[in-house]
Amino acid sequence: MSADLALSIRNLALSFKSWSGTSQVLHGIDLEIKRGERVALVGESGSGKSVTARIILGTLHELKSARISGEVWVAGREMSSLSQSERQALRGTDISMIFQDPTTALNPVYTIRQQFHEVLMRGDPKISLSTAEQRSADILREVSITDTERVLESYPFQLSGGMNQRVMIGMALINEPQLLLADEPGTALDVTVQAQTLRLMRDLVRQHGTSVLFISHNLGVVREFADRIYVIYKGRIVETGPAASIFDDPRHAYTKALLAAIPRLTGGGIPEIQEDSEAFFDPMVTHEDVSA
Amino acid sequence: MTAQPILSAHNLTRDFRVGKRTIRAVDDISFDVQKGECLAIVGESGSGKSTVANMILGIHPPTSGTLSFHGEELPVKRTLLHREKIQLVQQNPLSSLNPRRSIAASLRLALDVHKHGTRGERPQMVQKLLEEVGLDPSFANRSPSALSGGQRQRVAIARALACQSEVVVLDEPTSALDVLVQARILRLLDDLRTMHGLTFIFITHDLSVVRNIADRVAVFQYGKLVELADTEALFENPTEEYTRSLISAVPVVSTEEVELRGRLSKTEAADGGVESPGA
Ligand SMILES: Nc1ncnc2c1ncn2[C@@H]1O[C@H](COP(=O)(O)OP(=O)(O)OP(=O)(O)O)[C@@H](O)[C@H]1O
Ligand SMILES: Nc1ncnc2c1ncn2[C@@H]1O[C@H](COP(=O)(O)OP(=O)(O)OP(=O)(O)O)[C@@H](O)[C@H]1O
Ligand SMILES: [Mg+2]
Ligand SMILES: [Mg+2]
Repeated sequence: MSADLALSIRNLALSFKSWSGTSQVLHGIDLEIKRGERVALVGESGSGKSVTARIILGTLHELKSARISGEVWVAGREMSSLSQSERQALRGTDISMIFQDPTTALNPVYTIRQQFHEVLMRGDPKISLSTAEQRSADILREVSITDTERVLESYPFQLSGGMNQRVMIGMALINEPQLLLADEPGTALDVTVQAQTLRLMRDLVRQHGTSVLFISHNLGVVREFADRIYVIYKGRIVETGPAASIFDDPRHAYTKALLAAIPRLTGGGIPEIQEDSEAFFDPMVTHEDVSA
Repeated sequence: MTAQPILSAHNLTRDFRVGKRTIRAVDDISFDVQKGECLAIVGESGSGKSTVANMILGIHPPTSGTLSFHGEELPVKRTLLHREKIQLVQQNPLSSLNPRRSIAASLRLALDVHKHGTRGERPQMVQKLLEEVGLDPSFANRSPSALSGGQRQRVAIARALACQSEVVVLDEPTSALDVLVQARILRLLDDLRTMHGLTFIFITHDLSVVRNIADRVAVFQYGKLVELADTEALFENPTEEYTRSLISAVPVVSTEEVELRGRLSKTEAADGGVESPGA
């Protein structure tokens, strides 16, 4: 894998085995992210975005029912060749993830302060309590939480949906990871706070050359944030290219249908939706990257 | 709007204690909701939207103030009838679905509790509900953890439909869905609203959705209701600075939308250009 690639996925396939049979979820996807690049993965609900992120993070390997094949290279290492403990060591430091549902990522029985401390110790096992406190408060302020003292002493159930999401974003960024997997990072945030978290991620990219895999259903946000886009439909990449090119000139039937379904701030009603078409299974379309 | 409102909030206030401090999550909020209308609640994260939802559902009692349903005050301890008539679709569907129960069993339980249909009819009603929210029947026997975020959200919506409710409070119901499925669910919700005369309280951060589904919009900030207006008026001519700053920060995809934002932020820039209040 070439040196400027932060992530390279080759022919990744995934199926789940259950007593009633096997269901194929990913049908061989290829995906690359360069160092310092912001790449969005967008598409159908249930198409395989979160499982892709969890394979990159190495957590799906631990699920007995998951059958994974293909290659996932992160910073020169192939994930399936690593042991469970080697994969674990990368998590929260080199690779970190913002999960779609904060309730699954935050531990209900520890305060936010304790959870930050634990994440910081992964990056620096000898970190002092006062430094940990300071750094946690700093990152919370960066995600627009002003009441840091109260939030640090709270349990997740005492915070609003968007506050928990920001806590999780803070935890994912605090060790300045090389690869950030952001799965729906803004769903519970109001637009002004969302804009602030996007700025924060952009800064991380600029200052540390972090690479971001950004998963979102909010195509307005994707248009503002991503350099490049992969569109996924039922476990297959159907279209890929620079963000501007995909938005200005969508060529795959699924991408066209998706863009036509975006509700508009100017009104006009809920968009008319046609039935899923056979053309959604057409071969992948690749846009030339003119800047490369 | 002279008709008896189906639901009204009178001076609702709610405090929480965290450690030694007390925070006021909801501060003296009053509003009416008319039967059959869709009232959107938007506003800052942490501004009290879900707390209001929880008070409407009777999950938290108000610290002070009251709620009335069809003109009658809602008791702190709700009856089964109230619980049936007022339903909630929660912000995080994973936490509201029992992890040990299959999808079908969760829906079946809702039908059993509220005694909808006969025993013989219920399995079919479950299939019908899954179909209505666009989930394949093969999902019926899965546990919630074996579903994607958007699939779980649809199960939560199906469960609210299983109870023949009058008022449905939807807390971020479609933000976990792709825009195609979102449009389908929004149309479904809209059809159900007209067919069954349902009333919706729709909490969301997605102002583009609000513009296309709500009749009126309530804007919350720091636990207070800062603006309540008809949707059209609110988007074309917001009176509050905060509302203006919200609308002009929405990430959009078309030139017409960029122009709308531009119109609003121009008037904003004239008074000093506010970015994020509370930031
Ligand atoms: N543990 C599991 N066992 C069986 N099937 C699973 C499991 N986890 C996920 N799936 C299935 O794999 C598919 C992909 O799920 P994934 O969570 O990646 O979807 P997604 O693209 O992130 O969708 P969303 O946008 O709704 O979050 C879905 O159809 C889901 O039902
Ligand atoms: N059980 C609780 N104990 C203590 N504080 C709470 C509790 N529930 C909510 N709060 C606090 O009340 C305030 C309002 O929270 P609420 O969940 O209503 O916000 P919200 O408007 O729904 O925000 P979001 O858009 O982020 O979901 C927040 O400051 C939150 O921390
Ligand atoms: Mg997902
Ligand atoms: Mg909330």
